[in-house]
This record gives sequence, C-alpha cells and structure tokens, in this order.
Amino acid sequence: MVETEAPPAAGHIRLQSNDNIKIDVEKAVAERSLLIKNMLDDLGPNAEGQTIPIPNVTEPVLRKVIEWCEHHRNDPPATNEDESDNRKKTTDIDEWDQKFMQVDQEMLFEIILASNYLDIKALLDVGCKTVANMIKGKSPEEIRKTFNITNDFTPEEEEQIRRENEWAEDR
Amino acid sequence: LADLLNMCTTQQLSFVHQFVSPLLKKDPFTTLPDELCLRILSFIDDPQVLARASQVSRRWKDLLSDDMTWKHLCDKHDYGRRLSEASSALPPPALIRPPVLPLSNPEYNHSFPGTIPGPSTLNAMSRSFDRVAESSSAGAVRPPIRSYKSHFKQRYLVESAWRTGGRNTTRTITQDGRVVTSLHLTPKYIVVALDNARIHIFDREGNALRTLQGHIMGVWAMVPWEDILVSGGCDRDVRVWDMSTGKCLYTLRGHTSTVRCLKMSDANTAISGSRDTTLRVWDIRQGICRNVLVGHQASVRCLEIKGDIVVSGSYDATAKIWSISEGRCLHTLSGHFSQIYAIAFDGNRVVTGSLDTSVRVWDAHTGEAIAVLQGHTSLVGQLQLRGNTLVTGGSDGSVRVWSLEKMCPIHRLAAHDNSVTSLQFDDTRIVSGGSDGRVKVWDVKTGHLVRELITAESVWRVVFEDEKCIAVANRGSRVMMEVWSFSPPEDAF
Repeated sequence: MVETEAPPAAGHIRLQSNDNIKIDVEKAVAERSLLIKNMLDDLGPNAEGQTIPIPNVTEPVLRKVIEWCEHHRNDPPATNEDESDNRKKTTDIDEWDQKFMQVDQEMLFEIILASNYLDIKALLDVGCKTVANMIKGKSPEEIRKTFNITNDFTPEEEEQIRRENEWAEDR
Repeated sequence: LADLLNMCTTQQLSFVHQFVSPLLKKDPFTTLPDELCLRILSFIDDPQVLARASQVSRRWKDLLSDDMTWKHLCDKHDYGRRLSEASSALPPPALIRPPVLPLSNPEYNHSFPGTIPGPSTLNAMSRSFDRVAESSSAGAVRPPIRSYKSHFKQRYLVESAWRTGGRNTTRTITQDGRVVTSLHLTPKYIVVALDNARIHIFDREGNALRTLQGHIMGVWAMVPWEDILVSGGCDRDVRVWDMSTGKCLYTLRGHTSTVRCLKMSDANTAISGSRDTTLRVWDIRQGICRNVLVGHQASVRCLEIKGDIVVSGSYDATAKIWSISEGRCLHTLSGHFSQIYAIAFDGNRVVTGSLDTSVRVWDAHTGEAIAVLQGHTSLVGQLQLRGNTLVTGGSDGSVRVWSLEKMCPIHRLAAHDNSVTSLQFDDTRIVSGGSDGRVKVWDVKTGHLVRELITAESVWRVVFEDEKCIAVANRGSRVMMEVWSFSPPEDAF
C-alpha cells in the first residue's frame, strides 16, 4: 500500500513519522523546520515530492508540530537580535500559542523534543516558556505535585538546602 | 473505556481522577536532556523561583547548580555588565568567572571591577572620584574567583539592600553649622572639607582619623590621590598633604585669589583653577609651579583632566581646552550666555553646564559645538558623563538623564524641592542630594525613585560606590555625616 500511493501534490513534501505514518505538508510550512529546510536545500530542484523520514517523532506529535508551523507560516524568520529580545520578555506567550500548548505534559515534552530535533527555535522557546511558567510562583512542594516528583532528599539535606536558598526569599 | 467511565459514580470517578492524574504528570527534568532543561531555566528571571526549584529534588538541585543558569540571570539583571568588565581584567580567557570580593575585608570593596570606571574606559566623571587610585590598588589585590551563582547572590543582596535595607551610622562633624565644600570617598579614606579651613579625614567606616589644619580660610577644592591630598581655598594657597600622617608636605603659592577647583592628572601633577582667572599646573613631588595657563577673563569655576588635556569652565562664559605639556590653549568653547559652573570630559567630548540653564556638548578635538541640551530652568551646577549617558542636576531641583547618542532627554526627575547640590550615577542608579535635605536613589534605566535614603535640613554632598554611600548634611546647626553600607552580612557566604 505504501509503495503504490500517489506522490504528494505540487508544492508539497511528504514526512514520515517514526511510526511510519506519512503526512503531506506544504514545502513552505515544512521549512519552518531548519532541519527539513536544510535537507531540502541539499536536494535542490528534486526536493518536491520527496518523502523525508522523521525518525525521532511520532505521528501525533508530528501532526501537532505541523499545526503550529501552519499557523506560524508567515512569521518573519528569527534573527539573533530576536533571540536577545525574547530572552528579556521571558514568559510572554501569544494567545494562540498558549491554547496550542494546553496539552498533557507528555505531549508538551514531546513537542519540546521534536522542535529541538527539527530545529524550530520559536516553537522550542514557546515550549520551554510553557514549562518555565509551570514552575513559576510555586513552592518546592507545589512543583513536586505539578510534575509528580518524589522528594529524594533526606530531612537533613532538605533543611540545609532550604537554608542555602533562604537569601532569595528575603525581599 | 468511555462506557465504563460513564457507569461510574462521582466517588469512583474522583478515585479514578486521583489515580490517573499523577500518571499524566512527568518530571520535565528527567524526561528532557540537560541542554533543554537549562533552556527552560533560562526563561526564568526570578532568583526566588530558581532557589525554590533547587529544593525540589536531587536532579533539580544538580541542574540548578549549573552556572550557566546563573550567568543568564546575571545578564538579565544587568549584573553581567560588571562581569564582562571583570572577566576582561582576568588574564586567561578561560577563566570567565566573576571575581567577587572577600566580604570580610571591606577595604577591597572598591576594587570590584565595574564599581567605578577605570582610567582605561572613556567614562569621565564630573568630579574626581579617585578613579585612578581605585584601579591602581585594584591591580595589586586580585579578588578571588567565585561562581556566577554566588556572584548573583552577592549582587542581588546588595541590590535589595539599596532598595530596602542597609546599615547606617551618623556622626557629627562640627556643631557650628558650616558649609561642606567637598567630599571624597577613596579606597582608604573619607575626606570632608569645610569652609572653616578644616579638612577631616575618616576611615571608610566613618571613624575620625585626623584633621588637617593649615589653611587660614575656607577650603573650597580638594583632590585625593592614594595617601596624598591636594587642597585649596580662600587663602589662595594650594597645600599638599600626606593623609596617613596628617602632615602638610607643601604650601604652594602663586594664585592671587581663591582656589576654586583642583584635579590631578597623575601622581605628580595637580592643576588648580582660581578666581584670579588662571589655572596653575603644579609638580607636587617637587613642590613647584610648572606652568600658568592664562586666557580666561573671569574666575575658573571647574576643570576636568584626561591624559594631557585639561578642560576648564569659567565665569567668563567660555570653556577652554588646554594642552598640559605645552601649556597652551588649544580651543576656546564659546556659546554659553553666562557663567559655566560644571564641566565633564571623556577625552572626546566636553559637556558644560551654565547659569544660562543650557547644557552644551562640544567636540574636544575640534572645539566645535555638537549640541545644546535645553530643559533645565535654572543654573546647571551638577553633571556627570558616563559612556553615552549624561546626568545633569540644576538649581531648579530637577535631575535630567540625557542620551548623548541621540542628543535627547531620556528622563526628567523631579528630584528636589530646591537646588540639586550633588549627584552621581553608575550603571544601576543615580544618587542625588538637594538643599531640601533629601538624598534620593533613582533607577537610572527607568527613572523611578527607588528610595529616599536620608532626610536632613540640607544635603551638601553625596558620593557612593557599589556597596557604600556617604552623605554630609546639616541637621540644626550640626554638620552630620551618614555612612551607609549595603554589603551583605559576612555569614551570607
């Protein structure tokens, strides 16, 4: 069945997830990924109609990433200056992206891994900011609850670490 | 599964929820590789969040001890600028670690790189903040190297002390309501000069060491250089003192009227400006006058030195640029309509403040006017230049921050009800003192008032460095000195 399928439509390329699902994407959308863009650039004029394996990403995650790329297809390309600006604004996330990131933690971390692998810096930053926001404003115990983390400190260690970090509480 | 859940009671569903929801949760820092974990942490700019996160588990603690996270934080809080200056002072580039001071030895606090611009930077200050002496002694003792985390903690504690904490001591200098004419904070001393002919030397904590007596009338100008102090005043004499012994080394005669300003260009050379319209270049090691710079038509009110160039501002409404070695005037800066009261010079630009309420910027190489900065409504008597930032203070009570890149105002601070008598700024803050008796601390970037440090009847002078602020003010008929320390307690590290 895989062998007999039709080639992707004009201006499209075909991505193949690690669970062997093929997803056709417009070339311009897929090129939000620098990894894919570089591959296509290497292929030159033969790029259209190619099937590109994405061995590190499962289908649901890949679909999610493509959804993001479609929404952001017209964003200006990131520059190094943007990088420093973004860093200053820390956790500003636009509304669409916030909604987009309302997924379970497993998916969220998968998106972060996928965007890192695919080299989509803006998506990676949105993912990292989302996690950073989940950490902010919480006590250590609340953080543990948020991520289901076991406290593996001994009571003595815990007390010592609390004292070491007391300075930041004093404001 | 959906059918099964539909059949459940609320209680059962609640159980399922309690059972399932932790399973949907995952520790990001065990799921993701270190580089991505650190990337997440790089989006956090609140040290409290990071400190709390480090208490979550061993894995989190390990990640949060990564120094890059704290370097990011240093950068974000602009503690990084100090770092870059600091690292350039260290010989091997591999050691890009911040030197942090040994807190047990407050004498070295001044040597923290970035505290005060060294002679190699283009930053000039309107008054001599003893910068050359600073850096020469900084070179002698290299501060120990610590992590970015402890550097951040140090800076953070100092910053919060400036905002809300700090310790202060108050001392009475005299009981008979005199005018304080100048104040210096050096790596060793606090020096206060008064119009009663006396110069008081204190240690950096404000403990009285000795009084220099010899001038017959008010002391109106002085400049320290390590243990040497050069002073001048109404008695027309320039005196050279050894502050460590209190001895007067030389009494230099030549001026025929009050000595109004004094600066040093190197360890051997002092230059004085006088009401007699001249500047005199003195060799203070040999005790002789090397040169007399003649040209101004009225009192020389202020001067500033950079390398071989001295610039002077005069009541004749001009400023002059002189070559010290050649002893001649290179340029005369004309444009002000009345007396010049303040001057700053960074080697390239001269900035003058005048009774005509304007501030003028000049090209030091050509003597041409670059800009006229309007806004003050009264005499501009205070100015400091640092990089492309200029801060001015006037008798109108306002403090103004200007960009010399765009030649435009950045902030206008309604600082004092009356004259601004003193001001200083660095990368972080402006400290201003006024004849309304207040010392105010401002955020140099936002222009917001951070704190009112002191309330007295009239503030004469204020100086500060990273972790210290000194102000002299009148309370009743007494002249008081307040010494503020913003150093974290020694046991913090």
